[in-house]
Amino acid sequence: MKAKKVLAALLAVTVVMGLNGCSSGLQGAADAEAPKQQDERQTADAAQTEEPKKDDEEVTLTLSVDSDETLDGLQAVCDKAKEVLGITVELDIYTAGTDGDNIMKTRLASGDMADMCVWSDSKFKSVGPDKYFMDLSGTNIPDKLDDTYREAVTYNGGVYGIPVGTSMCGAILYNRDLYEKYNLEVPKTWDEFLKNCQVIKDGGDTAVLGTFADSWTAQVLFLGDYYNVSAKDPEFYKNFEAGTAKYANTPAAMRSFQKFEDLKDYYNSDYMATIYDDGCEILAEGNAAHWIMLTQALSNIYSLYDKETVDKIGVFGIPDEDPDNQGITVWTPSTIFGNKNSDKTDDILRFMEFYISEQGLDAYCSAQMADGPFLVKGYESASDGYRAVEEDMQAYFDAGKTEVDMQSQVQVVGSDLPAICVEVATGQIDGKAAAEKYDADCYKAAVQLNLDWKE
Amino acid sequence: MDKKKLYSFWFLTPALLMFTIFFLIPTVTSLYFSMTVWNIDGAKFCGLNNFKMFFQEDSLNVGIRNTLLYAVLTSILKLVPAFFLAVFLTSKIRTKNILRSVLFFPSLLSLIAIGIMFKAMMHPSKGVINKALAVFGITGIDWLGNTKIAMFSVIGVAIWEGLCIATMMFIASIQAIDQNYYEAAEIDGANWWQKLRYVTMPQTISARNSIIILAFIDGIRSFELIWSMTGGGPGFATDVLSSIVYKQYAAGYYGLSTAGNVIMLILISCLAYPLQTWLLKREEN
Repeated sequence: MKAKKVLAALLAVTVVMGLNGCSSGLQGAADAEAPKQQDERQTADAAQTEEPKKDDEEVTLTLSVDSDETLDGLQAVCDKAKEVLGITVELDIYTAGTDGDNIMKTRLASGDMADMCVWSDSKFKSVGPDKYFMDLSGTNIPDKLDDTYREAVTYNGGVYGIPVGTSMCGAILYNRDLYEKYNLEVPKTWDEFLKNCQVIKDGGDTAVLGTFADSWTAQVLFLGDYYNVSAKDPEFYKNFEAGTAKYANTPAAMRSFQKFEDLKDYYNSDYMATIYDDGCEILAEGNAAHWIMLTQALSNIYSLYDKETVDKIGVFGIPDEDPDNQGITVWTPSTIFGNKNSDKTDDILRFMEFYISEQGLDAYCSAQMADGPFLVKGYESASDGYRAVEEDMQAYFDAGKTEVDMQSQVQVVGSDLPAICVEVATGQIDGKAAAEKYDADCYKAAVQLNLDWKE
Repeated sequence: MDKKKLYSFWFLTPALLMFTIFFLIPTVTSLYFSMTVWNIDGAKFCGLNNFKMFFQEDSLNVGIRNTLLYAVLTSILKLVPAFFLAVFLTSKIRTKNILRSVLFFPSLLSLIAIGIMFKAMMHPSKGVINKALAVFGITGIDWLGNTKIAMFSVIGVAIWEGLCIATMMFIASIQAIDQNYYEAAEIDGANWWQKLRYVTMPQTISARNSIIILAFIDGIRSFELIWSMTGGGPGFATDVLSSIVYKQYAAGYYGLSTAGNVIMLILISCLAYPLQTWLLKREEN
């Protein structure tokens, strides 16, 4: 009997101790102190492996990058960096989209971040970048960055990142062959665009390609229409951030949602099951006339086919009422951030400086063509680009008819936007209801960011 | 008398500790965190605002309706086929062992895998289901893209997946029935149907009730299948409570999603407990 009692007591003690270990581990991870621990661990590691550390010593940096990024250019810069700087960069791929954002936030909070990471400039402000990312404002990097881009990666006076690639546009990609077949002109207004769609539909082809199985693709019409919003109401983004202007009570902004209503009848029949990758093929093979998409698709199509196929695709900005003021909405590329709590910050800085140097960007261009202009001052790619970029997009840039995507100008970004766009695109709700829904969605984000918004 | 008490207490301790640390403490702390604006830096108390915000969520109505629809349909609809499959598989057939294994196969797969598989099969133009229908000259439908049908497509898959466990439970229950009942019924001249109706069915009531309860609770907190098949879409058409909570969590609204979890906990308890007592009462009668 006694033996049993002792055994039971022992068991209990073991379990308790085991659990204690567990819970303290969990607490440690949740603590903000964790980066320090991580630091210490890394320092210990470093001390073991790289005892006599010199500048010309070989260094290995880790870089987390999301799976939607086209890696050819990035990889080329990394290879070049290894050759020139002796810095080996190991890529570590994380899943794209909201799940990926969550991974990034968790890794940051738990001090488990790689030396560098590629993330969106519209997301990094929400985590309080001064705690996690290297401030580059003391270096000569900010002077080299394009003004709009620098604005997008600035937080409380600090400049936090460098562009991983080129800018791109959210616009309407169209198949030039089909436009020739139906003898169509590039539309200058939304009504002309709808007329073109009708002609194509009557001819038996798919007028507008929907790839809503990847719901983020549905947002591009809404976000890409921002040039028109800002043309009619230039102060909208400021008032929106201040909580005074809403989508539902600003007609110019609500119009972006209402454009979905007009397109309801023109989509391919399997638009809810088609994914982004399918979309690239469908457009390239001329099975759809229009695709409202980011111009990064050009690079995807190029890597699937060849330059000749890509050059069959043209680009125009999402049109509105005024034929004389057709512009295009520009996206800043993803950003490379440096981990402030890494023990290799000097090397990270060296790598970043190299990345945006002429040598680095030339390496980038040797592997990947530009989806739009570079955001580094004074750099022009020597190699030739896609026809859609050099002819169609460049015209907008030359005429000054560009506007930067609103999501990189404001802090408040509603998380349900893709689903709301799909909902209005499939005709479940109308544009006004979608605008109201998005306002409510943004209110949640504003509360989370501690902004003083009224409902 | 002391000896007996001490003995059971010591054996209870490990389990109790586990329960306290992994269930009680998180449950209580989640009550606190559900009343905060919580991000990775820390939590700020905000009273009941999260609950207010959660209930104002537009998609919540759809979410609650879909959750109940899913839970009720998946728990009820698989009863009849599962029962007859079990009767068939306990009858005197030669291949019954193989058939039982085949039937059990779906439950070896993860729900995510099943979801991805059916999503591919239900593709409106490339999927095998619509292609098969086309052979018979039937125009297939957009199983997951049509907002009115998507929920039922997912429920159909859930029933297919849940059928095997339900059948296994029925089989176990049927095999436990005392053969004397059947002999007595035969002596009284009962035919096949009467034996089924007046012996097998009443004798398997407890299995039936377990299936309903388990499937109902599973249904209310269902997530994997819906997430992998539709992601709550098109739009919000197939959102259920847990996918709403997940989306809020993924957006970084930790406080708000914890509030959603507390609401789910209360809802599940409020629905499952009365259902169980009601079914048990009927069983006893």
